[in-house]
Amino acid sequence: MERQNEKNNMTDRELVITRVLNAPRDLVWEVWTKPEHIKNWWGPNGFTNTINTMEVEPGGCWDFVMHGPDGTDYKNKSIYKEIVKPERIVFEHITGPHFTATVTFAEQGKKTLLTWRMLFDAAEQLQQVIKTFKADEGLKQNIEKLEVYLQQAKV
Amino acid sequence: MRRDVFQAIADPTRREIIHVLAGKSLTLNGVADSFGISRQAVSKHIKILTECGLVTIKESGRERYCQAKLDQLNEVSVWVEQYRKFFESTLDSLETYLDKLQSKNKKNGKTKRKK
Repeated sequence: MERQNEKNNMTDRELVITRVLNAPRDLVWEVWTKPEHIKNWWGPNGFTNTINTMEVEPGGCWDFVMHGPDGTDYKNKSIYKEIVKPERIVFEHITGPHFTATVTFAEQGKKTLLTWRMLFDAAEQLQQVIKTFKADEGLKQNIEKLEVYLQQAKV
Repeated sequence: MRRDVFQAIADPTRREIIHVLAGKSLTLNGVADSFGISRQAVSKHIKILTECGLVTIKESGRERYCQAKLDQLNEVSVWVEQYRKFFESTLDSLETYLDKLQSKNKKNGKTKRKK
């Protein structure tokens, strides 16, 4: 049996992106938390947005539609979990793909270091599967037996 | 209906089944026995797992054995990684917007922040 599990770790279920932005933290916070700003920049180049609801407070809803350059609409709904002005925003993206995002803003002189972590649920479930699979050392013998069996079973 | 590795692992019973099958091949009855759920329920889960490519059925004599195919699970990390591009370009777009905003503020003589 192929063991592809060795390289699986936190990074497999979590995306971490950092960026130093050439703007003061207060301004970065503002463009992340005001609908009149976020609609202008969210999504890759060429995307526009319609913000339906944006309640920047714990438990608040952020509901918007992204319009792709080819005319495709992408519905997005998130629930804000944590709002710590001007440092930290945590939101749970409840439409697919399901993930929890933590965005932090750190001052670096007149610049801002943005760190964006996204933890994907599907990947977390996968992690559970692999963890239990790996943790159970008692299974090893059975796996070896299975390998032998698979060799024999190969046509 | 969606049939991929995510569908396969979304259900806790299926995750358990994968776990058990990772250790040894079992017949449908064998799976049902180790879970204490009906053979019918097991069949349903095995069917989904088969369609998702995480389990294959091998005939051995008169028995049919369920086997886990774990190399499929790699797909998840590939899937996560593909979102990186999206969020990176969203940050590109944020950078452009911040630049635009700040040069506009400068032109209007407005400064966000006094030194």
